[in-house]
Amino acid sequence: MKIRDITIRAGRSLKQAKARTLLTSLAIGVGAFTIVLSLAIGAGGRAYAGDIISSNTNVREIMVQSKQDTEGSAPGITTKPQKYSDDPAINYGGGVSVKLLKQSDIDKVKKVAGVESVLPYYMVTPKYVVQDGKDKYKASAETFNSSIKLEYVAGSADNIDNNGVVVPDGFREVFGYASAEDFLGETIQVAVESGSGNPLKPQVKLFSFKVVGVIKQSALAVVNGSNGLQINKADMKAMYDFEKKGTILYGTYMAATVLVDENANVETVKADIKEAGYMARTAEDLMGFIFQFINVLQGILIGFGVLAVLTSVFGIINTQYISVLERTQQIGLMKALGMRRRDVGRLFKLEAAWIGFLGGTIGSGFALVLGHFANPLISEWLAIGETRLIIFEPISIVSVIVGLVFVSVVSGILPARKAAKLNPIEALRTE
Amino acid sequence: MIEVKNVTKTYGKKDNLFCALDDVSFKIPDGASVAILGKSGSGKSTLMHAMSGLDKPEKGEVIIDGKNILALSQKDIDRFRSQTMSFIFQSFFVQANETCYDNVSLPLEIADLAPSTRKVKIEKALKAVEMSDKKKSRARELSGGQKQRLAVARAIVNSPKILFADEPTGNLDSVTGGVVEDLLFNYNKENGVTLIVVTHDAELAGRCDIQIHIKDGKIDSIKRNKK
Repeated sequence: MKIRDITIRAGRSLKQAKARTLLTSLAIGVGAFTIVLSLAIGAGGRAYAGDIISSNTNVREIMVQSKQDTEGSAPGITTKPQKYSDDPAINYGGGVSVKLLKQSDIDKVKKVAGVESVLPYYMVTPKYVVQDGKDKYKASAETFNSSIKLEYVAGSADNIDNNGVVVPDGFREVFGYASAEDFLGETIQVAVESGSGNPLKPQVKLFSFKVVGVIKQSALAVVNGSNGLQINKADMKAMYDFEKKGTILYGTYMAATVLVDENANVETVKADIKEAGYMARTAEDLMGFIFQFINVLQGILIGFGVLAVLTSVFGIINTQYISVLERTQQIGLMKALGMRRRDVGRLFKLEAAWIGFLGGTIGSGFALVLGHFANPLISEWLAIGETRLIIFEPISIVSVIVGLVFVSVVSGILPARKAAKLNPIEALRTE
Repeated sequence: MIEVKNVTKTYGKKDNLFCALDDVSFKIPDGASVAILGKSGSGKSTLMHAMSGLDKPEKGEVIIDGKNILALSQKDIDRFRSQTMSFIFQSFFVQANETCYDNVSLPLEIADLAPSTRKVKIEKALKAVEMSDKKKSRARELSGGQKQRLAVARAIVNSPKILFADEPTGNLDSVTGGVVEDLLFNYNKENGVTLIVVTHDAELAGRCDIQIHIKDGKIDSIKRNKK
């Protein structure tokens, strides 16, 4: 008998026991629902995390720091007294210190093969930002990095090298501009205090910048979200020099950002920099924990789904056994008409396959519907804008269904064997 | 030509040994209609099962067209049954939830025929039993006589050489039973198909060319009707 004909017959016998088929499928559907949804949440979570990473960091970037006394998740935190070294370091008290990079270190890292550029992290702590006569506001300053995605409301960073600044939309609001377009071209001042001055008579210098770009306060922009000003490298250096000159920290950097050449492998360069005696971490290293967290969460959810599938396996076995008993005569007739044992077995295995397919489809369907309606609600609730946290990947849905069909066929083996072994004479005697 | 040679079939073991068929031998020429008669438990059904290869007797041979079917492998005997034999049962065994078309289709599917070939054969068989109009009806909607006619259509659809009928009219009244009988005998005459009827209905047996009486697993008598 041809597989196609057996499949059609299998489907037909299921149709004749609609309620039973549906209930058995629903059991497996619960598993499918959970697994499909977990996969979608995992995919969504990873995509979201990936978005955060790519909008705040560049995958071709490596963050380089001086080798700390102890390496680990929290550099600089030690439990034992450390040897004193003349190398520059920031002491936070309590034995916590972070060793800094010197210009010679920067030059050394530059020489590592595959390094395109090294951008020292200029630590500038602006006192405030002001626009003449208006209130002063707190702000942080960052070196503009063209490799980080920014969502512009108005303008762009094209003119940033010409004393420009990219500001978050929030400053437009507090400085009283109706639209971002109006804010463009306006001048703002960043106040920086010299570190070498007399603390009682603070020496403050105002650096003027022209607003060239206004960026959205995106939820994804964790780092530069609300008050980060982005300023070109030269201007940052000027502010840094003013702030740090004469202090022990002058010429030292907390970290440096290495941009890896397009043709070089990020991991190889990272290993080389480590080899040279520095701490090097890629964006993935820094954000890796997010993925790990998502994967663990997804794993737990899938575990529940698998448990549901396991339970439904017994449902399928039970249903199919009953079906074999109910259809003893039919099986007997088929065998009397010359249907082979193998084909009788296949008929029942394919019925189980149909149940699995149906369950998988129903479960995935419900998951899709739920995801469709829940997505906007979740996004709204978490205030993450247009980002969707549940992403259905066709390939994962298809593999879940295929997997469930396989599981169902396996659970149909025992009842199918019983059917195949049935003695047609005994079966036809049943009246 | 069907030749049954020294067939012995026993059930049970040792003390409970029961001999359903005891050294049975006879020959049936091709195209004959044969009635196997006997009381309940006489072994007539067992004989039919042995002749169709559904059952494997301990001893003896069943030679059909020169081949001992009892010596065939399960796979070969299944194919042999699917291609040369068919069955009609007292309680019809039509699939109540399936349409008449699908019921008749089953033997053809088992014989691996393509859907287009099946269609032609099914329609021909349904026409032969005058049930073309019931093609799409479900078998459960049919009367007993119609069900048995459907069973006849299913039995003849793949043009078998041997047709086994186990009490084909046992569940039918005399009028509908007569219709089914006519169908069977006409088919037997027109197509030269060997018809083997298991029955205890003397009237039905009277219409057959050969009557084999079975008693306690042994052949009591073989009568040939002269025509």
